[in-house]
Parts: sequence; structure tokens; C-alpha cells
Amino acid sequence: MSAPRHRWRGSLAARIALVFLVLLLAVQLASFAALRLSWTSHRRGELPKRLETGCKLLQTLLDQRVDAAIEVGRATAKDNAIRGTLFDTEVDEATKRRTIVSAFGSLKERAKASDVAFLDMAGTVLYRTEPVIRDDLAAIATYLRSKALASGSARELMLVDRKPYQLVLVPELAPVLRGWILLAIPLDDTFKGDMKRLSEFDVTVLARTAPRAPWTIASTTLSPAFAADLAEQPWGADAAAQAMVAVPTQGDELGVHATMTGGFGPGDTSFALLVSESIGDVVRLPEDLRMALIGITILAIVVFGAGSLVTARRITTPLRGLAKAAERLGEGDYATPMRNVAREDEVGALSQAFERMRVSIGENQVQVLRLAYWDGLTGLPNRARFRELVGDAIRDAADRRLADGVESSVAVLLLDLDRFKHVNDVLGYAVGDKVLVAVAERLARALARDGDVVARLSGDRFGVLLQRTDAQQAHAVALRIEQALENPLALGEHKVDMGAGVGIACWPSHADSDDALLVRAEMAMYAAKQRSDGPVTYDPSIDATSAQTLTLISELRQAVDRNELRLYLQPKLALEDRGVIGAEALVRWQHPTRGLVPPAQFIPFAEQTGFIRHLTMWVFEEAARHWQALADDGLEIVLSVNLSTRDLLDLDLPHKFGVLLARHQVAAASFCLEITESAIMDDPQRALSTLDALSAMGFKLSIDDFGTGYSSLAYLKRLPVDELKIDQSFVRNMQADRDDEMIVRSTIDLAHNLGITVVAEGVESGAAWNLLREFKCDQAQGYHMGRPMPVAEFSAWCEGWGMRRLAVDSESAPLLH
Amino acid sequence: MPIRNPRLAPMLARLASLALLSLAATVAQGANVDVLLGDAAGNPLTDAVVMLEPVGARLPVKPLQGAQIVQHDLQFDPPLTVVTTGTAVMFPNQDTVKHHVYSYSPAKTFQIKLYAGVPHTPIVFDKPGVAVLGCNIHDGMIAWVVVSDTPLWARSAPGGHAKVVDVPPGSYQLHVWHASLAETTPPQLLPLTVGAADIDQRVRLGAGGLVK
Repeated sequence: MSAPRHRWRGSLAARIALVFLVLLLAVQLASFAALRLSWTSHRRGELPKRLETGCKLLQTLLDQRVDAAIEVGRATAKDNAIRGTLFDTEVDEATKRRTIVSAFGSLKERAKASDVAFLDMAGTVLYRTEPVIRDDLAAIATYLRSKALASGSARELMLVDRKPYQLVLVPELAPVLRGWILLAIPLDDTFKGDMKRLSEFDVTVLARTAPRAPWTIASTTLSPAFAADLAEQPWGADAAAQAMVAVPTQGDELGVHATMTGGFGPGDTSFALLVSESIGDVVRLPEDLRMALIGITILAIVVFGAGSLVTARRITTPLRGLAKAAERLGEGDYATPMRNVAREDEVGALSQAFERMRVSIGENQVQVLRLAYWDGLTGLPNRARFRELVGDAIRDAADRRLADGVESSVAVLLLDLDRFKHVNDVLGYAVGDKVLVAVAERLARALARDGDVVARLSGDRFGVLLQRTDAQQAHAVALRIEQALENPLALGEHKVDMGAGVGIACWPSHADSDDALLVRAEMAMYAAKQRSDGPVTYDPSIDATSAQTLTLISELRQAVDRNELRLYLQPKLALEDRGVIGAEALVRWQHPTRGLVPPAQFIPFAEQTGFIRHLTMWVFEEAARHWQALADDGLEIVLSVNLSTRDLLDLDLPHKFGVLLARHQVAAASFCLEITESAIMDDPQRALSTLDALSAMGFKLSIDDFGTGYSSLAYLKRLPVDELKIDQSFVRNMQADRDDEMIVRSTIDLAHNLGITVVAEGVESGAAWNLLREFKCDQAQGYHMGRPMPVAEFSAWCEGWGMRRLAVDSESAPLLH
Repeated sequence: MPIRNPRLAPMLARLASLALLSLAATVAQGANVDVLLGDAAGNPLTDAVVMLEPVGARLPVKPLQGAQIVQHDLQFDPPLTVVTTGTAVMFPNQDTVKHHVYSYSPAKTFQIKLYAGVPHTPIVFDKPGVAVLGCNIHDGMIAWVVVSDTPLWARSAPGGHAKVVDVPPGSYQLHVWHASLAETTPPQLLPLTVGAADIDQRVRLGAGGLVK
């Protein structure tokens, strides 16, 4: 299962790492965004202040120019040479003009003025440098003079030639006011250049000639489009009051600080000095910062990715270890302890839980094994364990054989308690359990040696394993066991008589494997139960599965089809008048090659295999078929047919009989059905119901082999029985054995008291006949009167019987038949 | 000439004739003319100069002797000097630094180029008028020289009175000057007839001239 494992590993650790990386990226992005926001707002926030400073710088620059101009102007005014030239009456006008103009020329350069002029007290322009300005200087000077007279000099920003100029007027004192020097300094490109160089801001000078007139661009460092947009804004006192005005323009925003100077000069010209910067440029993150952030992010991704993978591994590696451990547990390895148990975190907790589970399951395993192999009630090994032990014993014996050359044999005894179900039914399961326990004890006590095992195989079945035991020794042990069970079991207030059928099978003589050994022991056991004649050792003849038997059975099946079966009848005679009152119908098999096969050779098999039902049906049908013929011969007798256990258990039997009766037009009353006690006792309930049905149909019912089985009188009185047949063992011995005689007599009385007829089987002498007559027995059946004979001969025999019956009570040699 | 209060006129005429009479009683020939000078606001004007210039005649005038304008503490001393036409004025420099005295006034244009101590020759003020003097080096140095063409002149004291004594009777132009007058202002003249009696004249002077 390594492929799924690999896939799983890739996914969890990778997923954890991925989650963390995504989180990291999210955090980075968030902080990036926050930084941007903060940067933007900070830069934007500080822009007004900076613009204000820029504006101050502009003012300072402007002032500096003017101050410089004034200084230079004053210096010039004070110059002796110039003063002398101006006021010296002895110098001719042309020289004066030349000198003054040249002096003013150098003044013009130093002051960066476009025009310099000298005016007299009346305000007339006497001398001036090469005129650049076209507007009337005198008019300008007149305006400035009023200011100058108050404060000694004048300085103003004015529109001259529709351009912004800084005008300066300084007095010529010699030593009292004798005239004025006027300087006109334009705000030209050098000014703009200075401004730009010093402050990175753009400067725009707007002017308007009337308070509500639109602004015109007097001078600007911006490109025309931007300047035009600015000129459209309504700059006024309120705009100047704000620290910054944001003007959207050309897809960007300009932050603008405005200073107003205004309402002076000819025509009330006012100016708006605008210091501006692109807000877009300001708020943009500097390139190096951006690069640094990206670099940090990449580095963080790498470090984080590696770190989180390592951390994830710390989780997934123990998890994989646990998965492997779980697999080990699944494979049954409860011995290997878990790792990572000492860790104090969740992985450790999981490992500890696994460890506890491992120990617990291991313990459970032991329990399960115990339950699997031991019987709870008796403490004996159970079937599974027994089988293992048998297998082990066989292997040991085989090894010993191989190694030491010693012939070693293993024997298995199987015993089934007789009528145990009945005990459960009558005395209850509690007592039943006690019976089992007591039996177990007795069995155990009966075994002498170590290595011999008693096991409880199922409900009432026990198994005994005997090592180094041959068939003979096993038989002796089996007898001992039977003896041990002979004494009734004392269980509290109950005394229970238990018997068992014991079957014996040996390895290697009867089977070559543990399974085969057990199966054959079981077969022997069934045979023992059937014969009720002591322990039975396995023999192929009892084995329905042995090859020869299998052949026999298949031939038996075919026997029906090939008409190899023969119906035999044995007469039943009334003791009173020696008349033939009935006949027992028996089946015989005329095998083509074997000849007449003894019933003992095929009846038991038929019973074991269930084929007996077919035989029963065959016998019944044959009997039904011949009844009419017999009746035609004057023999309206009752034909007795044997029913086996199987037949009794077949609930459909009455119906089947019914069909056959109808087919052959015979009344049910012409039949008597013989059932053994044990056949009934196997499943009394069902037997009873079948018998009730049959009785209701009109059949007579007879208990066969009465006295040899275990029957309950309680059931007996419930059965719709018409007749009792005393087992032949009693009848044969009753002359010799008082007890047997007593039994016969009592049975006859019992039957009569119950209102049923009694038949004695196995009458083999006239003495027996007489005795039975004495005992008031109703009917007799036996070799003394007649053996089973082919149905065809029956009529003839009955005729002959008329003669022979007279001698039936003779104590001499039996009659021939 | 506008007097402060029109109702004062008859009173003043009476006073003037009284003064004349008393003057004639006391002094042998001339009357005294006391001019009270005030500025436009009426405050007494110090260092104003009044000159009685006879109409249609010229009184003989003698140059003053020993007139000098000293330079010390980077100042001209005295700031105002009244001299008669033809007076030679010396300009001793008592400062440790050199001065360059100049004037571009039409009355006298001159230069005493950088010097220390006493210049060799004095400056002769040979034209009546007012000369304003300065130092080329030191802008704060300024001095006035009033050149009177008549011997009948007086300078107002801190109280504003300028008294011209011994004025022969006749018709005069009362020429009033003060430094506050701009250079280009024409001479401020007030016709005045002097008799035997003393005259008290009140004059108010603004920047542009006599104030009524």
C-alpha cells in the first residue's frame, strides 16, 4: 500500500506548507497595502508643509533678488563718480549720458535687471539703459515713489509688458534726495531655473488686472497644459489660506500652495504665486523601497516555505509512523511498541492512545484465543482446540515414527450423550448444564495419563484424544468411560442417568489426517448409538462414505429403478385362535451379483443417508398394491410397515401415504405403522404431530422393539398408539430369565391397561407360545410360526397354516414354514 | 500773509504802531523785528532763518570772519551756518578719518576731496542761497549753509523767535527759510514794512512753504 501512502504524504505536508505560504503572502500583501497607504497618506500629509516651505523659499528667492538689486542700486547711488556725473553742472550732457548709461549697464548686470533708469525729483526719466521694457517707466516710478518716500526705497512685483517684474526704486541722495534709480528685474528663465534647482517644485505666477478677472499665466515652470489647468482655478484669499489645494489635472493631481500678493500697482494687478508638485510623483513608492519589499517577500516565501515544510514534516512523519503501527496491529503484531510516546504534544497523546490500544487489543487477543479454544461452561478445550490438538498429536506421532522408528498410534474417542435434549426439556437448562459439567469431570477422571485430552465438541458431544494408544487400548478406555457414566449423576435434587454412544477411530489405521480421524470417529459413534451395544470402533463397513459403501448406496438407489427390491411378509398370528391377523412388510434386495443382500447391510446406510424414506415409500406402495390381491385370496389382513425416524420427521408423510392409498384404493385402516421408541424420542413433538395426522387418517400405530429404548410414559400415553410390540430379546429370554419374564408380563398388562394390543416378537418355540398365551398376550410373531417370505408365497403359506397351526403350541421342534 | 486769527489783525496793527512808537522812543534809528516761527502745526520752529531783504535796494553786506564748519564725531558742526555773501568758510576735519565734503547746490557747488585736518583754502560762499553739504563717504553727514545777501538776518532760537535788530524803516521782503523746505521750493517771501516801531511777526512754515 505504498502508493496511497506516498500521495498522502505529499498532500498533507504540502497542504500545510501551502496554507502557511498563502497566509504569508496574504500578510505580506496586507502589510504592503498598509505600507502603501501609510506612505501615501504620510507623503500626502507632509506635502502641504513642504509646499509651504517651497513657497517661503520662493519668497526668499524673490526677496534675495530684490535685496541684491537694492544693495547694488544703493551702492551705485552712493558712488561719488556717479553722483558727480549726475550733478556736475560743468559736464556736458552727452558725456553725462554716456557715463551714466555705462555705469548703469554694470549695475544692470549685477542686479540681473532688464532696465535701469535715473529719474529726477519730478519723476522724469533722465537716463536709462537700452530699453527692454516698453511700458512707461515714469508711470511705474511715480507709483513706486509714493511708497519709496515713506520707507526710503520701494520694491514691488508688478506686471510690466504683461510679464511679471520685480521693480526696485532707490533714492539718489546728494546728500538730500535729488533723484531716483529705478531697476526692473524680470522673473525669467534664470529665476525659474534657480527655483527648480533649489526646491524641485514648480512655480507658476498668475496675474489678473482686476479683482474678478480671470487669471492669466505670467510665468510658469510647468508645461502649458498643467499651467492652463491651474490658471482656471479660482485662486483667492481663501485658497491662499489653505496649506494646500489639490488640483486635478491631466490625469494627475497637483498639490498647490498659493500666496496672494495683490491689489497694487497700476490697474490693481494682483498675483497668485503658486508652488506646486505632482501628488502622483510624491506618493509613489521609491523604487529602492519597492525592490526591497519585493526582495523581502521573496526571501520570506523561501524561508517560510522551507520552515513550514519542516514543521509540517514534524507532524506528518509521526503520523506516518502511526499509520505503519496501525498496519502492524492489523497484521496481528501486538508486540511492537509505539514510538513518539514520550512527546508531550498532540502527537505524543495520539501515540500514547495507540499504545494503550495496542496493549488492550493484545490482551483482548489473548481473551479471544481463550474463548476460541476453550469451552466456557466446562473449561474443557473446544472443538477448534481439540482439532488442533489432534493435529499436533498426529504430527508428533509421525515425527516419532520418523525419528525413532517407533510405531505410534493416536486414538480419538467421540461420545454423544443419549437423550440429552430430553434432559434439557424436562429438567431445564440449568440442570442440563450441570449434567455437562459432571460428565466432563467424570471423563477427565477416567483418563489416567498426561497428554490425554478431554474436550467438549458441541452441545452434548465430547471428544477424547489418546496419544500412543492403539485400537485395543482405546476400546478398553471407551469401556471405562461407559462404566464411569453408568452411575447416575447426582445433581442437587435430581439423579440423572446418562449414557453415551462412544465411537473410536485410530491414526494411522483408520485415517491419515486429523479431519478424517474425527469424521470416522463420528461415524463409529453414530453406529454405536444405533446399535446401543457398547463402543464401536471404526470399520469401513459402517462408513457410508467408504468406497465400497458408496457403491452399495448408489446401487441401492438404482435397485428401486431396476426392480431389485422384493417385498417380504412375516405373518402375525393371534394367540387366541391362532389365526393370521396381519403381516409385517419387509424389504429385501435381490442384487444381480451379490444375491440377496442382508438388510443389515443396507438398511442402516439407508437410514443414515435418508434413503430410507424411499424404501419406506416403496414398501408402503408395494404393500398397498398387494393388499387387494391378498384380500381377493380371502386375506383381509392388516399389513404392518416400519417407519424410520426420518419418516416421522417428514411432515408431508401423511399426505404421501394418502396419495398412495388413493392410487391403490386401499383403506388406511388396513395398515399398521411400526415405529421404534427411539425414533419417536428423537423429536417427540414432531413425531407426535405426524403420528396424530396418520392416526387421524385411520392408520393403526404400533411401538416397535418396546422396552429397548428409553421412552417416557408421559409421551406414551399421549401417542395415538394402537399396539405395542415386545422386543424379541425379552421374549427369547423369558423362559430362562425371571426378569425378562416379568418384563414381558408387565408389558402385556401395561398395554392392556392402556387399552392397546400387544404383540410378542421373536417367538421361537412352542413353549414361548404357551407362555404368552398364559400371559394373555394378543399376538405373536416369530420364526416358530413363520419367517419373512416373498409376498407371492404368502397366500400359499396362509393356506398351509391352516394345517400347521394346530401344532403351534407344541413344545417339540418348531414348525417348518 | 495769512495770520492765524482774522480778528487778531486790528489788534496786531495797533500793537505794531505801539511798538513802533516805543521803539522810536527808545532807539535812535532801527526797529526790532521779532519773528515767531512755527511749523504747519504751530509748534515753534528752531533753526529757521529770516532775512529782511529790502525791496528794490541792496544793503551793503560784509562777509563774516572766521566762519567754519568743523567735522567731528562724523558730523558737521554746526549743522546750520548762516553767512553773508562772500564769507569764506573753513572746514577743519577733527575726525581721525578723512572726509570728502561736497555740495551740488546751485548756490555753491564744491568738493573738498578726501582730506584730514584743515584744508588749505576755505570755501567762499559768493552767491546768496542755500547750499546743502554732504560727505561722500559718510551718508549721515549733512550741513546747511544759508548765504544771506542782507545783513538783516536772524536765526530762530529754540522758542521759535528770530529777532532782527536795528532795522531801518523801509519795505522789505521777509525771506524765511528752514531745512524742512525742499530744495526745489522757491524762496518763501513775506512783504514786510518796517517803520519806527518794533514788529512782531508770526510765520508758519510747511514743507511746501509758508502756511497761511
